[in-house]
Amino acid sequence: MNEFHPLAFYLIGGAVIACALGVVIFKNLIYSAIAMICCFSGISGIYVLLHAELLAAAQLLIYVGAISILILFAIMLTRHRSGNIDIFFHRQSWAAIPLVLLVFVALAITLGWGRYQASADSLHAGTRQVADVLFNQYAFPFEVVSLVLLAAMIGAVILAAKERKR
Amino acid sequence: MTPLQHYLLLAAALFCIGAWGVLARRNIILVIMCIELMLNAVNVALVAFSNYSLWGTERGQVFVFFVFAIAAAEVSVGLAITIALYRLRERMSVDEMKEMKG
Repeated sequence: MNEFHPLAFYLIGGAVIACALGVVIFKNLIYSAIAMICCFSGISGIYVLLHAELLAAAQLLIYVGAISILILFAIMLTRHRSGNIDIFFHRQSWAAIPLVLLVFVALAITLGWGRYQASADSLHAGTRQVADVLFNQYAFPFEVVSLVLLAAMIGAVILAAKERKR
Repeated sequence: MTPLQHYLLLAAALFCIGAWGVLARRNIILVIMCIELMLNAVNVALVAFSNYSLWGTERGQVFVFFVFAIAAAEVSVGLAITIALYRLRERMSVDEMKEMKG
């Protein structure tokens, strides 16, 4: 079992946190979207560090490849023309910071300092094991998820193409 | 080897940054992006837990695939609603949308 350098996690994790902060802080939506793409790529690196190579590839394909392009298209399709666009944070946004800090402290106490019965050298599942569980034990949820995706696709087409009929 | 708690702290920080963006920003597309960040934080926690699991690491990864599918459905419907609202009102701010207010 090859081990990664312990510094790799802290480098990638710091980059992920910085990019996530950039998503919220940047004024320009395009900059936010590019920071989000960097954040998703960094999370793919985190998956590689956690020995989930199939998920890292899926993360790159689905998030970096599909969802980011969808969001970039939506940003470019909807240019603001009205409203006070200079205000990026709304009026009650000051209340969000202490609330979110409270949630983070609660999560950090419960998760970060929790005691787990964790094994450091567990057997890492490859693509074959993941597929075996997905298509045998979780075959029914898999089919339900495909129905959800179909419904979402039909709904998105109906919602976005409504204007053309009139 | 990096302890499990550090991965969980990264996931918690990512989740809280996403929640901050959802609560504080006005633009609806940015709110959708921050919801994606929160879903990714949950995925990181799932994969971290499964990687240190005593009973095989494949089940947590399977759940992440389901989260991927739900995230794709959510973002497609959310962006379709955004574009429909933009055509209707040409507004992109969440605090200016009062159509559903009773």
